[in-house]
Amino acid sequence: MSALLDVRNLKVRFAMPKPSLFAPQPYLEAVRGVSFTLEKGRALGIVGESGSGKTTAAMATIRLVPAAGGEILFEGDDLLPLDDEAMRARRRDIQLIFQDPYSSLNPRARVVDIVREPMDLMGIGDADSRLQRVKELFDLVGLRPDQLNLFPHQFSGGQRQRISIARALTTNPKLLVCDEPVSALDVAIQAQILNLLARLKRELGLSYLFISHDLGVVRHLCDDVAVMYLGQIVEQASREALFDSPKHPYTQALLAAAPSLARRKSKGYVRPLKLSGDPPSPINPPKGCAFVERCPMAQEVCRREQPVLKACGPSQVACHFAAA
Amino acid sequence: MTHLLQIEDLRVTFNTRYGEVTALDGISMQVSEGETLGVVGESGCGKSITALSVMGLIPSPPGRIAGGAIRLNGEDLTKASEARMRELRGAEMAMIFQEPMTSLNPVFTVGDQIAEAIMLHQNVSRDQAFRDAIALLDRVGIPSPDARARDYPHQLSGGMRQRVMIAMAVSCRPKVLIADEPTTALDVTVQAQIFDLLNEIQRDFGSAIILITHDMGAISEMADRVAVMYAGRVIEEARADDVLDFPQHPYARGLISCIPALGKGEMAETLAEIPGVVPPLHLLGSGCAFADRCSHRQGRCDSEQPRLIAHGHHPAACHAVEEGRI
Repeated sequence: MSALLDVRNLKVRFAMPKPSLFAPQPYLEAVRGVSFTLEKGRALGIVGESGSGKTTAAMATIRLVPAAGGEILFEGDDLLPLDDEAMRARRRDIQLIFQDPYSSLNPRARVVDIVREPMDLMGIGDADSRLQRVKELFDLVGLRPDQLNLFPHQFSGGQRQRISIARALTTNPKLLVCDEPVSALDVAIQAQILNLLARLKRELGLSYLFISHDLGVVRHLCDDVAVMYLGQIVEQASREALFDSPKHPYTQALLAAAPSLARRKSKGYVRPLKLSGDPPSPINPPKGCAFVERCPMAQEVCRREQPVLKACGPSQVACHFAAA
Repeated sequence: MTHLLQIEDLRVTFNTRYGEVTALDGISMQVSEGETLGVVGESGCGKSITALSVMGLIPSPPGRIAGGAIRLNGEDLTKASEARMRELRGAEMAMIFQEPMTSLNPVFTVGDQIAEAIMLHQNVSRDQAFRDAIALLDRVGIPSPDARARDYPHQLSGGMRQRVMIAMAVSCRPKVLIADEPTTALDVTVQAQIFDLLNEIQRDFGSAIILITHDMGAISEMADRVAVMYAGRVIEEARADDVLDFPQHPYARGLISCIPALGKGEMAETLAEIPGVVPPLHLLGSGCAFADRCSHRQGRCDSEQPRLIAHGHHPAACHAVEEGRI
């Protein structure tokens, strides 16, 4: 198996307002050295709470946000040094699905034009073959041909997400970056879209970089999972390893916090692991381990030294006290 | 047994450009002291309208309570005057909304806003009310409540704001607390904190809680009883364990099985899905509103609306269950 995407030590930072005219430029370190590998035909889930940098990391991977350092190898070629023209050509292989199916479709365009537009921009085929392709894609994602000439507002949220998926598939991409594609949808509709994404992955051999805060969704769709906290990956493992034996206390807390049918009020469950407080602000991260303020296992060393990702059984974990 | 809050055959209609539309079509549910009732369903099923009806906050016009009763300790709220409702709101019943940023006033400190609610219903001085507000902030787990009481809403995180909303809602120890998707805008770890806090408050104050959610996982952790709503009707109602372990209505079954599982081992290759979407209310026909999305649709599903009656296990409104087809 060859790596489709190999991201090494990716860093992203945003300039913050200067406190005074001659002060040095302060930066918010949004992504602090993230590395991951995505194999062809697999799905990598990036999980984390808001502010963890998961979306920024994904956007930097496809150069929609400028990276401050690192390497992004797509099929072996580093994307970061590419000029705009070369990057544009590369984007044919990398497409995006956004979270909000309402704001990500042009309300004044007919959906046939929305889905065809990437082919127009990339100069793929002629008018007839483009229309033919749009019809195929409509069929593939479960929309009817008589809906081609409607406007986005005439569709429900789930159908709009199908339109977004069809648009993303027009250029025959190898990699789909999905940024919380189901979190704006009702649970019943969410299942429809997840099943569609799973089928497309199987039938078209697509690879997904899948951003989500919902562990259940990630478990269902992804082969590998990376958990992010404050701009860093704190645990990385295969789906089985991560969900069956989570190592990092943050991963354990996330699993304990997610509502589950297995916990019943009538049985008087007690949450095994409780986190106090909110995720810390990336403007002023703690000195040692980023998780130290909320960690039930925190010791003196955690405040001093930042743990690095290291092998712990089948998983990669960044914790001083992770036990294999 | 008499219940603290009893909704009986409530009908709410709205005037729309499609004519008069029935948003709630004869719903009944009840909740007792110290009990949590979960109301579950997709968007557009009437969950929030149910909550707003109880609070007397249906915008009228275009909305109108067209029939039925809402009894709080026996008193019918649908017949209460606006002045009486103002007395009850905040004191006897309170509501927590989904988006804590838009439900707090941005130009007053959170301490002042909680104090205002206290002064409206209790005969206390402003100073005393402010001190009570600080005690409440402490009670809902806000660190350094003295300082936070002097903060404005924008200075607090989403989870903190929702705690402030809860502090305000419980300031007069209401008998009924309605939480309308209180954690939708929050991260999961914060959601878990808010759920634990609501359970604690219920233990301390004995409040009845109505929790509105679309998440069966939340129902499992929080609710004693469940009412499943679909297209303005209650289609299944029972103890939470009964609905979760033995769902009867195909819609209730779908809502439970379409959640990706988190526990060890069990995982389905494809998720059970409920095809289609909730129909617009003005397009409802004479049959079962769920028929278009149902795999057990047959014969009279298209012509006759099923009634909410017990068939075997517990009440469900479904012809297929009634006929023993599922």
